[in-house]
Amino acid sequence: MAAQTTVEAGPPDAEREARLEQFMRERANDPRAYYAQLRARCPVDFDEHRDGPAALSRADVESVLRDTDLWSNETTPIMGSAEPVIPLGVDPPQHSIYRRVLDPLFSPKRMKALEPAVTDHVNQMIDAFIDTGQCDFSADVAVPLPCLTFLTLLGLPEEELDDMVRWKDIMIRPEIVAGSREAGQQLQMQTVGEIYQRFSQELAARREQPRDDLITFLLTTDVDDGRKLSESEILRILFLLLAAGLDTVTISLECIFNYLIEHPEARQLLVDEPESMDGLIEELLRWESPVMGAAARRATRDTELSGCPIPAGTLVLPALAAANLDPDVPGSQQVDLRRKDKSHLAFGGGPHRCLGSHLARMELRVVIREWHRRIPEYRLKPGVAVEWTPSSLRGIDHLPLVWDVPAGDAR
Amino acid sequence: MKVAIDQGRCQGHGRCYELAPEVFTDDDSGYGTVIAPDVPPAYADQAQDAVNVCPERAISTAE
Repeated sequence: MAAQTTVEAGPPDAEREARLEQFMRERANDPRAYYAQLRARCPVDFDEHRDGPAALSRADVESVLRDTDLWSNETTPIMGSAEPVIPLGVDPPQHSIYRRVLDPLFSPKRMKALEPAVTDHVNQMIDAFIDTGQCDFSADVAVPLPCLTFLTLLGLPEEELDDMVRWKDIMIRPEIVAGSREAGQQLQMQTVGEIYQRFSQELAARREQPRDDLITFLLTTDVDDGRKLSESEILRILFLLLAAGLDTVTISLECIFNYLIEHPEARQLLVDEPESMDGLIEELLRWESPVMGAAARRATRDTELSGCPIPAGTLVLPALAAANLDPDVPGSQQVDLRRKDKSHLAFGGGPHRCLGSHLARMELRVVIREWHRRIPEYRLKPGVAVEWTPSSLRGIDHLPLVWDVPAGDAR
Repeated sequence: MKVAIDQGRCQGHGRCYELAPEVFTDDDSGYGTVIAPDVPPAYADQAQDAVNVCPERAISTAE
């Protein structure tokens, strides 16, 4: 899960905008080089052109994620939702009450039960383009797959796919959809209302006619203190699932497939030794760190990070990518697809560890396994240059791939 | 060899029972639990590897 630190509204400063875009572009293009450069300046990033300091070392990021008394998640609105999203925007002990309800719904056992539906979705997508010898991996697989999984999980009709794609784009990168930061904020606020309204309709329908699905479960389950979740609580849970669960999987797929195109030996390893897949996924989640930062935390009192003073009230970004690439961690500067130490923080850590990590891993595995089973040899379409999206989520909007189709089969 | 999970630190990443399924298993919420605190010699390597996969450093072993 990722969220940008909130930017105060104010007159748009063209120079600041340009600097921000420049740094976001550099960071997305090569987080390794980018964070090495920041680290060389200071163990905590204090660039005046960004929204707040970022914790960079593995030790600092771990302490920010774990010490929830010192580092609060109850910050300014996350992704345009005025009410705190659940569970990300709530601190313990209330947070633990929500996680006890939600963790079982996203456990590996539950995700295993969802896997056949996801496998079907992936194969239907591949069926649609395999004989043509080409696809845009981003638009044809990486974007729709997590959206379809989400619809399945919530028991919503697949026809709502286009709405889902539009909504999650506006949640995650409003400035890109709307064309400017200011217009983006406005569009995001408007869309949040639209999403809450849509989910509210769905709750009413489930109250009328309960089903065996996640929404009905949230309506009927008992919370720790014997009460039911309120409508507002359920809406804020569903909103977060939408905002956090879609683009994160999309960009992880894009990062991994881009790596495989650039490194044919890694692709060959997957084909020759399919059992290497889990280790490859973990190492590329670390190396590529698609979700570069966790949600900003607010210091509840004066403190310090690596000796740098942090006044109470400061929003600090836990830079997960920087922690994963911390040079003090032995071997962290190279890719090792057979690495034994898989303790990376790509899904964050501490009590707010990504709720959907087991779902995300299942989706990544199914796509990588089914794709390589059916299309083991592929390459980037000749003449295309890969362009990273300058956002805190490292994605590639267009990843055109081509492969050979047996003569006579092409159509 | 003895192995333990510090339940106060475990956050349900699920790395241990995936890497060392003979030593750890998952509860209904996806949090790791130790199958038997005394690890048979055959699985000692698995248990040791699990120490390195836990992002929360919640796993410890002792002779």
